Amino acid sequence: MPLLLVKNVTKVFGALIALRDVSFEVNRLEILGLIGPNGAGKSTLFNLISGFHRPDKGKILFKDTEITGLRVDRIAGMGIGRIFQEPTLFMQETVFENVFSGLHRHYREPAWKAFLHTRAANREEAVSREKAAEILEFMDLAAMRDELAANLPHGHQRSLAIAIALACEPELLLLDEPVTGMNPSETAVMSDKIRQIRERGITVLIVEHDMRAVMSLCDRIVVLNLGEKLVEGTPDRIKSDQRVIEAYLGKQVI
Amino acid sequence: MKPLNKLTQGRGKKLLAAAVVLVALIILPLCIESDYVKHLLIMVCLGATLAMTFSMLFSTGLITLGAAAFYAVGAYASTLLVMNAGLSFWLALPLTLLAAAVLALGFGAIFVRNAGVAFVIITLIFAQVVVLAAGQLDFLGGWGGIIGIPRPDSIGPIQFTSKLSFYYLALAVLLLTALVFQALYSSRIGRAWRAIKLSPNLAGTLGINPYRYRVLAFVIASIVAALAGSVYAHYSQNITPDAFGGWLSIYIQLYAVLGGLEFYILGPVIGSLVMIFVPEYLRIMKEWEPIITGVLLLVIILFFPGGILGTVKDPPGLSLKKFHSLYNRLKTGKKLDKSS
Repeated sequence: MPLLLVKNVTKVFGALIALRDVSFEVNRLEILGLIGPNGAGKSTLFNLISGFHRPDKGKILFKDTEITGLRVDRIAGMGIGRIFQEPTLFMQETVFENVFSGLHRHYREPAWKAFLHTRAANREEAVSREKAAEILEFMDLAAMRDELAANLPHGHQRSLAIAIALACEPELLLLDEPVTGMNPSETAVMSDKIRQIRERGITVLIVEHDMRAVMSLCDRIVVLNLGEKLVEGTPDRIKSDQRVIEAYLGKQVI
Repeated sequence: MKPLNKLTQGRGKKLLAAAVVLVALIILPLCIESDYVKHLLIMVCLGATLAMTFSMLFSTGLITLGAAAFYAVGAYASTLLVMNAGLSFWLALPLTLLAAAVLALGFGAIFVRNAGVAFVIITLIFAQVVVLAAGQLDFLGGWGGIIGIPRPDSIGPIQFTSKLSFYYLALAVLLLTALVFQALYSSRIGRAWRAIKLSPNLAGTLGINPYRYRVLAFVIASIVAALAGSVYAHYSQNITPDAFGGWLSIYIQLYAVLGGLEFYILGPVIGSLVMIFVPEYLRIMKEWEPIITGVLLLVIILFFPGGILGTVKDPPGLSLKKFHSLYNRLKTGKKLDKSS
């Protein structure tokens, strides 16, 4: 059983067909790449999976449960984390508070106990502070825990976005362009991080423009073009696929 | 063990400071003879409480221009329960708060669906509708209002007849509100509110339901406003619809803005203290007072957007470093780079 199943999904915005009858699966513990020229529908697909948009046709199943059209927070609660293309952080809070806020889903003690600051609730809060510190350590952000998120350099903001998503302990993590605009050494570090995230038991679905990074990182790749699935397969197959080359060349010619 | 020690020491210090402030707040009015000053202090307590409800909604990213609406609901509900149903104030109070909670849940569930400008306008209109309803409905006393509202019944030896006793009642309301709100802000509920305010989208992907948390804030804020309104009605002993008009909502908002929007509890207190007392001492030219107050507020909001507390915490003045960079710029004629 695949972790995520996208089945015949269609999404129309006005006169634009953003996605047409797209189907694919994400298997447990794989790193799946989603690529395609601009306007292929990659971001739309992310928004459908994470609940920001509702598909016009088709179904999305997560762990065999249909999540089509559920609210964003419900989908997050079921174990799908995502980071946005633009660094979306709590800019006016410190790095630590950003991750601490991300732990919202962890609390088991009821809210009224948190309000009364009972011993159990305080203990739970202390545990989540430790957890936030551990995640910062993992994402190499421990040294800047007290910096405001807004003051971080771009690369670190992306790491922080991932750290916040990890705080949710997702089973599936959607990464939107995690290495775009990074230099080769930064890209290598981030790629390595993404592999380590998988080692933590998290399945990764990744949208990325940096072909070299995608090819080295992903187990499988799904190629979208003009809202339709062109092909899917291993990086080697994708690299030599005539249709993929045409799709990308076509874009360059235009 | 060391960090734990530090924590208890820090907490001990805070408790001590709180105790000193509390004692001062209790003793201070005993040294004041003027009933008028005591009246102003009561209005500061109620105003600060209301401004805190504004701040609570602000902490979730909502701006209300109808903070006075549930103040009116509390005042009228309590008055009717005491005068028409013949209940004791102390029995009417919980019923009033319950009614406010039910109303707030119903209306909040609709209002909060629209964040942003829509919420501002909806709350503004709602507050006006409440005032109009009070004015038009005969059983609410019409535009003439209701007079002769009884004082709260005495509890044992404590009688609510003097200004001083009402000051203590209003102070209790203020402190209780501050305590409850602080407990909320420092818990995960407050963190969820902040997350929603800073980025509703990101909050959603963290499993926080912005809608539900905003309704919660709306209900809590409304209950507290109704509590203040109930105390106000039995203190002033007469209420008119005009007393809860649009100006009051704007003033409540100004208390919070003037004190410092980022200080959800202390900001409203400082803001209402300054805005209620300072104009009293600007009375040299009584007819000019509103204009002077208005201009002062414009200046503060335009040039000190952090409010009083924000400005004290982070003074905008010319630091030596800024002066140096300015001097170097003039000397070298280089353009100021973005970072400085």
